[in-house]
Amino acid sequence: MATHALFESASGYAVFEVKLADGIASKTQALQESIKDLSKFGKMVTLMSFSPFKSAADALENINDVSENVVSEHLRNVLELNLSKSSKKSSIKLAVHDSQFGSAIKASLGISCDASDLSQEILRGIRLHATKLLKGLQGDDLNKAQLGLGHAYSRAKLKFNVNRIDNMII
Amino acid sequence: MLVTKNLVPGESVYGEKRISIDGGVEGTKVEYRVWNPFRSKLAAGVLGGLDDIFIKPGAKVLYLGAASGTSVSHVADIVGPDGLVYAVEFSPRSGRDLINMAKKRTNVIPIVEDARLPAKYRMLLSTVDVIFADVAQPDQARIVIHNAESFLKDGGHVVISIKASCIDSTMPPETIFANEVQTLMKSQFQPLEQVTLEPYERDHAMVSAVYQRHKSKQN
Repeated sequence: MATHALFESASGYAVFEVKLADGIASKTQALQESIKDLSKFGKMVTLMSFSPFKSAADALENINDVSENVVSEHLRNVLELNLSKSSKKSSIKLAVHDSQFGSAIKASLGISCDASDLSQEILRGIRLHATKLLKGLQGDDLNKAQLGLGHAYSRAKLKFNVNRIDNMII
Repeated sequence: MLVTKNLVPGESVYGEKRISIDGGVEGTKVEYRVWNPFRSKLAAGVLGGLDDIFIKPGAKVLYLGAASGTSVSHVADIVGPDGLVYAVEFSPRSGRDLINMAKKRTNVIPIVEDARLPAKYRMLLSTVDVIFADVAQPDQARIVIHNAESFLKDGGHVVISIKASCIDSTMPPETIFANEVQTLMKSQFQPLEQVTLEPYERDHAMVSAVYQRHKSKQN
């Protein structure tokens, strides 16, 4: 069971501490209801650290790394700062969205990762309540960051498309 | 005739007709854009008799298979300034038009990426209320399910356009539609409505379903 969770947003990386009772089944109605309810979900996760990207260029670099399952310098710093200070590093289990990204983190930092169903539920909950959970973000800051980063990411995709010929979709 | 209220009055996106009428207050105008069911499957679905497409003002929509963004622009009109459309399109050529359309409509977030790999664009999305899919791929249901697992809220809806010949051109379309619905049901979707897109498209169906994440896979 995950002890921490990593949430990658368009504004920055967030690390949460996860407190879950043992033996929770992931797709029960009870769990889904408590995830929807911020007052209950707020007791399941606490924000340890939110590390915003410094600039739009920085954000673009990071989304490119994340989409290629590469652990960026920025992410490495965030994880080291928040997770390595506790001496019992071995007991840490980080909930991540993608198991391949999890292995990349494990390989570069030695932190065990977990992309199980239950981890996905936690990350779904964080995504649902992201604007409330990420301290320092105003109402639609996150959407603005998504808009800017969406344009930047998509534009970069076109720019580096070497063959420039459409791959026809039938 | 089907129209949407133009979010950017004075401009057409793809040469569609605009209709201006007097607004509620003296001297004001409201502009609408004609939504052609022969060009947009979602429009065909609405005219084909879907009771609810769940895309409404303020909604957050994940649009898979956004193409050049012509239908997306109408969805953007509907959700309005308080809503958001995450528009995913894999083809770079269409993606270029999509980005240009999104420049004028700031409630559209263009994502040029493969909808099969939602993990690649997970940083760009919030939880959405509705997923609309028109990806015309054999594994379309799987693509939708995969995206829903990460981004669709519990109790959210999907609206899917199914092109029978894209999935299997040897089977009768009705069988294909039924199979796709079965696949959805196995992944915690409860089907709500199904309409054909005749006379606008041949052998197409549009299916809507609600996502019930707490239901176990066996039910």
